[in-house]
Amino acid sequence: MLSSFRKQDKKDEESSTSGNPYKNLEKASVLQEARTFNETPVNTRKCIQILTKIIYMINQPEMGEQLGQTEATETFFAMTKLFQSKDMMLRRMIYLSIKEMSTVANDVIIVTSSLTRDMTGKEDSHRGPAIRALCKITDASMMQSVERYMKQAIVDKLASVASAALTSSVHLMRHGPEVVKRWVNEVQEAVNNDNIMVQYHALGLLYQIRRSDKHAIRKLILKFSKAGLRSPFAYCFLIRTAANLINEEGEGTDSPMYDFIDSCLRHKNEMVIYEAASTIVSLKCVTPKELSSAVNVLQLFISSPKPVLRYAAVRTLNKVAIQYPAAVTACNVDLETLITDSNRSIATLAITTLLKTGNEAGVDRLMKQISSFLSEISDQFKTVVVDAIKSLCQKFPRKHTVLMTFLANMLREEGGYEYKKAIVNTIISIVEENPEAKEAGLAHLCEFIEDCEHTSLATRILHLLGREGPRTTTPAKYIRYIYNRVILENAPVRAAAVSALAKFGAASEELLPNILVLLQRTTLDQDDEVRDRATFYYQLLKHNDKPLNSAYILNSMNVSISSLERLLHRYTMESTTKPFDVRSVPVEAVPVEQPKANISIVSGVSPGGSESKKAREDTFSEQLSVIPEFAHLGPIFKSSLPVDLSESEVEYVVRCIKHVFSHYIVFQFDINNTLNDQLLEKVTVQMDGSAEGFEVVHYTPCQVIKCNDTGSTYTLVKLPDDSSAVTGALACTMKYTVKDCDPATGEPDDEEGYADEFVLEDVEVSVSDHVQKVLKPNWSASWEEIGAENELEDTYTLPIPTLEECVKKIISYMGMQPCERSDKVPDGKASHALYLAGVYRGGHDVLVRAKMALGGTSSDPGAQAITMQLTIRSTDESAVQVIASAVE
Amino acid sequence: MGLLDSFFDWLGFGKREVNVLVVGLDNSGKSSLLNYLRPRETQTDFIAPTVGFNLEHFVCKGLSFTAFDMSGQSRYRTLWGNYYRTTNGIIFVVDSSDKTRILVAREELQQLLSHPDISSRNIPIVFFANKMDIRDALSDVGVSSALGLDGVTNKSWHICSSNALKGEGVADGIEWLSSAIKSSLDQARR
Repeated sequence: MLSSFRKQDKKDEESSTSGNPYKNLEKASVLQEARTFNETPVNTRKCIQILTKIIYMINQPEMGEQLGQTEATETFFAMTKLFQSKDMMLRRMIYLSIKEMSTVANDVIIVTSSLTRDMTGKEDSHRGPAIRALCKITDASMMQSVERYMKQAIVDKLASVASAALTSSVHLMRHGPEVVKRWVNEVQEAVNNDNIMVQYHALGLLYQIRRSDKHAIRKLILKFSKAGLRSPFAYCFLIRTAANLINEEGEGTDSPMYDFIDSCLRHKNEMVIYEAASTIVSLKCVTPKELSSAVNVLQLFISSPKPVLRYAAVRTLNKVAIQYPAAVTACNVDLETLITDSNRSIATLAITTLLKTGNEAGVDRLMKQISSFLSEISDQFKTVVVDAIKSLCQKFPRKHTVLMTFLANMLREEGGYEYKKAIVNTIISIVEENPEAKEAGLAHLCEFIEDCEHTSLATRILHLLGREGPRTTTPAKYIRYIYNRVILENAPVRAAAVSALAKFGAASEELLPNILVLLQRTTLDQDDEVRDRATFYYQLLKHNDKPLNSAYILNSMNVSISSLERLLHRYTMESTTKPFDVRSVPVEAVPVEQPKANISIVSGVSPGGSESKKAREDTFSEQLSVIPEFAHLGPIFKSSLPVDLSESEVEYVVRCIKHVFSHYIVFQFDINNTLNDQLLEKVTVQMDGSAEGFEVVHYTPCQVIKCNDTGSTYTLVKLPDDSSAVTGALACTMKYTVKDCDPATGEPDDEEGYADEFVLEDVEVSVSDHVQKVLKPNWSASWEEIGAENELEDTYTLPIPTLEECVKKIISYMGMQPCERSDKVPDGKASHALYLAGVYRGGHDVLVRAKMALGGTSSDPGAQAITMQLTIRSTDESAVQVIASAVE
Repeated sequence: MGLLDSFFDWLGFGKREVNVLVVGLDNSGKSSLLNYLRPRETQTDFIAPTVGFNLEHFVCKGLSFTAFDMSGQSRYRTLWGNYYRTTNGIIFVVDSSDKTRILVAREELQQLLSHPDISSRNIPIVFFANKMDIRDALSDVGVSSALGLDGVTNKSWHICSSNALKGEGVADGIEWLSSAIKSSLDQARR
């Protein structure tokens, strides 16, 4: 024993930085020690220590010492023998261990009876924990056997027991909601418990039991709002539930739910008042009138002596200020006093709120105020400041010099990754939004990467420099910063730097010789990736060939990476001498950018769309490849979003997805049979598009669609031979055999059904179905690359009042990706140029330039119209024709 | 023996702690039997089917017993094996009025005896032919032959009829078990 302590001491000295005695646990030795559990009499102290180790190990999955199922079960059974000890501490440890091991070990129900005895026993301090442990090991099949005990515990007069039973029941709801629902009488009794915590927990469980029934929830809120609950927690819970109802049902402020929340503003408990106020300001339906009463309450809190209240109030006001700056202006005087609050968190929030509500003149003063204590606040709040600056820049673009300098100063100071990332994101967004701030912003970023420890930030900045740098007035000055990276940094950063250098070389004739020298030096780099990139770019740039540079340096491949991987894998499996055709890889769609409705405090604009989209197209191609008739079609070029072809209330709900191939279109019809007494067999959707030259080649019927079930049928259509006229509408009729069936069993009543049909809406095939959006980072380079061979130019007059609307319409008709941020029309301009890029069916690049100018037609100069000069270039002639037809 | 006991007391061993395992089919009266051994004021009238196991303490003849009252329901019987290794004695309770299931009890007994943790050690087993008050219950001899106890030669065992509700015969069996455990422990010591 003594020696082991000494050993521990020694270890501690070695790793003096960590005082954690469990850091170096080894699974084998802990399991060995766990044999102590089998000894009689029980060595309490030692067993507690061992259990602590086991729990620690289970909760540190990164230690890599996870218990296996057999090991855990063995240890668990050994541990059950410790129930013979009456030691309080040990018993509590056992409860904890049971809970932790319940998911790892087998047959944990062995302790059921021991726990039920503890939960009904005399030792009060054991009862609550025993209930929690018991509920953790109880599965659906065991629920019956604990039911009686749980019912008793819920109405127990001891608050800790009742609370434990109620909260555990919430967890049990997941396994056996039916059983828990039977306890509703007991739960209702517990809501009337005198203890505020029991009341809160009981209300929570009652809500869970009734959750699916909106009407019951409504009644519940009304009932308890009148009943006068003692617990402020319960009130807060009711307020949240009411707010959910209002938001989900789209109710207005005239609903009784809103009246209840409003009445809570006059509650005597501060917590309830705050909850009501913060709920009101976040309601969707709120109007300035309701807002002002909530803001008034928050204003009172601002001058409270309690820091917690001040903090809560100012934090909520900060959020309100984004959406309704006018409503918060009333509090400005009070907020000013908080700027000097000794609690820096409160001060930061006050200042950032003022920044949002204030005018341009006040910005300088407030920024000075913040910088005076910036070093005293935590990273998290610094991020709040950064976000406030970001929204300021959008509001007052002219203030960018002050703000940019401020950001640069922040960037120089110490800070964690998240904080630095927020600053870099802000600077990048300013650089992209505001052309005047570009050079200053890039200079600050260059300075930052000189001493940047975060690889991901450095690579991002290098990528940005490569894209934006060549277009500045003096591109040469960035070269030094970038080449320094090649000399000084780790491999990923070096590789990014090499790519950035190559872009400068491709874009500028003057710099090319210098860049070539730099690249040649880098071809001796020790890292494979860096060396490969340098060699590749060096060879490319040596030719000084514009189209080549555009295709391989300035604009990258636009294929879907996951599909490329899949196809390459398949290619390597085949024994073929044919070269791999990159054209066969589906083009990756540009993720649809979510409209930034409001710049929120937490700026987490995550491109969540791209992942699911990719997965979606892969699943489609897997589904279609199963059908033999579609095997020869090749890869899917594009799958459209589903379109409804029926009203939502009719018997059969039909949605259509268009899968476009290079010469065919497969229409996938997902049919949902909403009737519960009929089943459909041999379902097809007949299509007719002969007028437009579409030819139906094959129907793949859906054999059977059961009641309340969904099935898919496919129709294969060949595109018209005239490759320039590929749009039109196809009439659809669903044909099927109906069989009546018994609603209860779903079995058909008779053998023979009868044929029937159902007319659907027409399916439109539009230009955008043939085009996949593609983002060209350097649009003009691609424009030159394609050349004027298949160019088509025309001038149109469009009866559209504003440039914004015109831009939006053209993008949606053509289904192409706006490049160079040309989809944003600067305010007050009378003309605009829109640059679009896309890939036409078959893998042909298409680029569109649309120069628009406001102004009337020659015949009627006063009319609101736009004159547009449209130029289309493509590697394929028919693509040009088709795209042009989109405007007409 | 008495001399030896006082000798141990004098040495300061006090009461020796031993573990016993209480097994048998469901509804044979294991929990009731242990309930009877509790102090009068903590006894209960209501015995629910045990799920898993329960722990009971009682004292007999200078030994402090910790009894693992195992659940007899068929799906939990496999869990008995986890406790064989650390046990000093076994109490096997049989419902002597349930003549059909006595064969199941025999089966379970065979399994128990052939378990490696049991077969290699000399563990005393006491059998309670419980529910002797029921009219056409088997006698202890009848139970013994139904279980095939004659074939058990490498263990010391004892059988007695009992009525766990009233307590008749219980003390008798437990006393035999105490002395058997004591002698087996002494044997192991030597």
